[in-house]
Amino acid sequence: MSLTKITDKAGLHRHLEAAIQLEHATIPPYLNALYSIRPGANTEAFHILRAVAVEEMLHLTLAANILNAVGGTPDLTVPGFVPLYPAYLPDGETDFQVDCQAFSRAAIETFLKIERPAEGATPGVDTIHKGRKRAHHNGHKRHGTAVRARHVPGHEEEHFYSIGEFYQAIEEGLERLHAEMGDALFSGDPARQIGPEYYYSAGGGLMAVTDLASAKAAIRLISEQGEGVTDNIFDYEGEIAHYYRFEQLLLGRYYQKGDARGRPTGREVAVDWDAVFPIKANARLSDFPEGSALRQGAEDFNRAYGDFLALLTRAFQGEPAMFVEAVGGMFQLKELYYQIMRQPLGDGTHAAPTYEISHG
Amino acid sequence: MADMLDGFLALSEALTGFTGQRLRGTGQAEAYLATATGIVGEGVMRDLLLAAAEARASSGGDTEKHEAELRRLVMSDDRLGPVARNIIRMWYVGSWYQLPKPWREAHGQSPRDHDHVVSPISYTEGLLWPAIGANPAGAKPAGYGMWAMPPRIAPG
Amino acid sequence: MTTSGKDPVLTSFEAVAGQEFDVVIVGSGVSGAVIAKQLGARGCRVLVLEAGSGNDITVADYEESVQRFYGAQGKDNNSAYAKSRNAPMPRDYETRKLQPGQPNADGYLVQMGPLEIDSTYTRVLGGTTRHWEGKALRMLPDDFRMRSLFGQGRDWPLAYGDLDAHYRAAERELGVAGDVEDQQYGGLDFGPGYVLPMRKMPLSYLDRMIARDLDGMEVTLSGETFPLKVRSTPQARNGVPNPAYDEGRGYKPVGAVSTHQEDKGERCQGNTNCVPICPVQAKYDARRTLYAALETGNVQLLAWSVASRLEVDGVTGQVSQLEFKTYDDPDAPGHRVGHVRAKVFVLAANAVENARLMLASDLPGSSNLVGRNLMDHMYLLTWALMPRPAGALRGPICTAGIEDIRTGAYRRHHAAVRYSIHNDGWGWATGSPYSDLEHLVEHENRFGAPLRQGLIDRVSRQFLMDCMIEVLPDESNRVSVDPRWVDQMGNPRPVISFGATPYTLETAAFSRRLSRRIFQRLGAEDHTHYDPLAPGYVSHDGEGYVLRGGNHWAGTHIMGTSARDSVVDSTQRSWDHPNLYLAGAGSMASIGTANTTLTLAALCFRTADAILAGLGTHAPASTTTGARA
Repeated sequence: MSLTKITDKAGLHRHLEAAIQLEHATIPPYLNALYSIRPGANTEAFHILRAVAVEEMLHLTLAANILNAVGGTPDLTVPGFVPLYPAYLPDGETDFQVDCQAFSRAAIETFLKIERPAEGATPGVDTIHKGRKRAHHNGHKRHGTAVRARHVPGHEEEHFYSIGEFYQAIEEGLERLHAEMGDALFSGDPARQIGPEYYYSAGGGLMAVTDLASAKAAIRLISEQGEGVTDNIFDYEGEIAHYYRFEQLLLGRYYQKGDARGRPTGREVAVDWDAVFPIKANARLSDFPEGSALRQGAEDFNRAYGDFLALLTRAFQGEPAMFVEAVGGMFQLKELYYQIMRQPLGDGTHAAPTYEISHG
Repeated sequence: MADMLDGFLALSEALTGFTGQRLRGTGQAEAYLATATGIVGEGVMRDLLLAAAEARASSGGDTEKHEAELRRLVMSDDRLGPVARNIIRMWYVGSWYQLPKPWREAHGQSPRDHDHVVSPISYTEGLLWPAIGANPAGAKPAGYGMWAMPPRIAPG
Repeated sequence: MTTSGKDPVLTSFEAVAGQEFDVVIVGSGVSGAVIAKQLGARGCRVLVLEAGSGNDITVADYEESVQRFYGAQGKDNNSAYAKSRNAPMPRDYETRKLQPGQPNADGYLVQMGPLEIDSTYTRVLGGTTRHWEGKALRMLPDDFRMRSLFGQGRDWPLAYGDLDAHYRAAERELGVAGDVEDQQYGGLDFGPGYVLPMRKMPLSYLDRMIARDLDGMEVTLSGETFPLKVRSTPQARNGVPNPAYDEGRGYKPVGAVSTHQEDKGERCQGNTNCVPICPVQAKYDARRTLYAALETGNVQLLAWSVASRLEVDGVTGQVSQLEFKTYDDPDAPGHRVGHVRAKVFVLAANAVENARLMLASDLPGSSNLVGRNLMDHMYLLTWALMPRPAGALRGPICTAGIEDIRTGAYRRHHAAVRYSIHNDGWGWATGSPYSDLEHLVEHENRFGAPLRQGLIDRVSRQFLMDCMIEVLPDESNRVSVDPRWVDQMGNPRPVISFGATPYTLETAAFSRRLSRRIFQRLGAEDHTHYDPLAPGYVSHDGEGYVLRGGNHWAGTHIMGTSARDSVVDSTQRSWDHPNLYLAGAGSMASIGTANTTLTLAALCFRTADAILAGLGTHAPASTTTGARA
């Protein structure tokens, strides 16, 4: 993904498309880890992962709302929308790749990188700009698949150290364009917004985006739920950021209010790293023998996953009521995850979804 | 017992009407085989799987013939029929039910032969509910508001 | 649900025994929790005693109950909850057909009959709201004036309008999802512009199928004609918050009870398991309110402790102290006996247990009405197969019902009734879907694809309509105690005497006739039958019916206008013991056709105000305490 500083609406659209892609790109790794936990075991870890995955769906939807608000067209069915794992995140974080793997310390360590706070975050200091100034213009070699780029030649590529900084760039772009264009920036059809009535968690949080204030509120929510823009473990609503939720699993203890980073003092979190289906990391269809029932199962999964993305796309392209069915699709997928992950491949690992999605 | 698993799954496909992939996907095949074998004994289980294999072999892929052969060799057999019906029950609702009294008197008692849920998970993996596009009470929900739509009753 | 990330503090026997509190509350169910929260928020020092386990706060604890349910062969309405010999609870399977003169003492309840009642309650943290279904209907204005309007039962010492603000507080506390537009019948009035906290649960596919053919069907009763209509049922289940709630301030649903933010709780996902346990805590249970009470910092919780005796000052009638028994092992014999003192005592242990404790304390009341007037709804079940697959076994247990004949002039002659459409198939009546599988495998000799098809034909088409029938207060229906029957701790067990009167039975007969008409109109295949050997079997006018209990125990410390004819006043205060409140459905003077929880929660908001006033604490109007808390 090549992104350059937002100077026009097209650039803003590109960033928001990348944001949707980014939010989505975290979901397969989170769900693979989540559903690799043996049902009934590790309930606390399960709930922590699940809460994060559900909020990534919220973030994805908020990003789609912003894109719709500024006249863009979210489309989760474009070829290459789903990365092949291992993959770099689509915001140009190039120092690590994301694997689709079983629930493990390594997986959580990757998740911490995904949700990491802005670089050099220190208490009371706005670190965003500091982070961005030293954003990488790097020559890191890329492995695996890079997410499809919409390259605009002649501009310096942006790379962000954290998702928070990426959203900060979007927010600045929104402000800049709003200063130039005024409310004409928000030319999208409000009927395309997915409103609070559609979000699934009792925690609420989904909001329609119709102007600069609501766009900024949406970005703030994404950032604070994720890594926390500042060093705060708990956000202004008392909710614990994803980064620290995950850290609790590695540190084996819950955070409570008043705790310092890295030193939670709450109750113990019991984690059983072994109560896990040892699913194959970054599985491919080619890992399953052609013509086998399992191969068929994995293909069925990919079709169902593609259907899910197509339903979401319909919801984002003017049929918000389809969102209910799209979320229902996630519940159906859950069962397909289990049906695949329970099956040994004979080499000590278990099968796993491959996310090789083709839209016909 | 591992050598019996494939035979057990083949029999289970015929008994339940679900594919092997779907049955394996429940993760319960080993537990059901072990539960049944532990109660009726390996001898009965091997005979059951042999009879099922014979029914498969002699029907040459013809579904109707296969069903007829299963009725002849398994379902109407005093010794094998009740066990086959209990295997259906396990797959459908996750529970073992006590074998009929005549069976116990003729073929042996087992201290584990009483009504019980094989495991908490086995209940949630019951196939009765997916067979009608529903979910076992308390597990595998379809999501908010999905109950307003027609049931998705799918093959497989 | 919490944001503090702090562990709650369960207090200990040592810390509590011999101490004095402002208020001691017996029971951590919805009554006790509401009162504790309201008092704690105003700075009162409160102790809540819970007979069951205290290890029931975290999501992991909750998950244990869900797993217990999965693993239970018999999935009765208490199957998800830990049993304890020291605080036993009734199980519906303990009910059996009685022979005249032979009580059934097999379970915790001792059943004297003549009617066997299979109602239960749950002695765990959060009480019976743990297994309640969550229907949150208001009672009708007429229900409060039964004697004046219909010459039957009793009037309440307060009117519907007196309870309106408390109903609102209860609807906020419980988080009720429903559309007020669907509740326009029988004189029900929510006040101008009022909306419930959350929008109605979407109607099920089955509801819609039935509504299409049924809406507009007319029923004539005592010369009055009622057009029937399928209406959404208000229920305390997380759904879509209504942005118009609270004058446009909206409503923030309260999610899972947890000491940490593992999970914020969910909107209903359609687990079809409201009873006995919602696996995602979308359904309200009283632990939510209890947790909020603990978070005030003024409320302490002592679990594993059974209140055993109230001690009363013979001169003033004041309760001087409460004796309780704390156990360490849920099943092993052995306990310590302690006492606590308080300015005010509240019994909030449910209608059966409140009466049991009073009677065990030799306090039958100057009216001798403690334990009497026992009420519960009688349920007549009717069931049929829809003409085609209707999607049974999906969604919340009920999303809609027929409410139009909840009141009318006919109540002079027979009991009020409402009907629920069940999304969970025939399970309540027949043991479906297990019984259907049994039938197909054992009797129809099906296997393979024909078995699957059989289940589609036989289960997916199921429609069960329950007929929830009013029961009047009757002094001969009662809870009593008898030294012959005590539990392991030596506490007397509840002895239940209960019978159905012609007033109730006439409505059972009417409802069976109406169900036939409804099935005829829907083209549904009627499978209803009543087994003469089943508990609850009764005959009326030559026809037999099976009546089931509703777990809505009420009336045992009935509310009235004087000490002569009632146990408590309109604030649930004991006439005989000025510092004692008996809270919950036991105070209700009628039960109409509403599940009791919403009304008893409303009464408890009212009681909290009264207690605060009595303690000299400024009691804010309930509209503020409840609606804005």
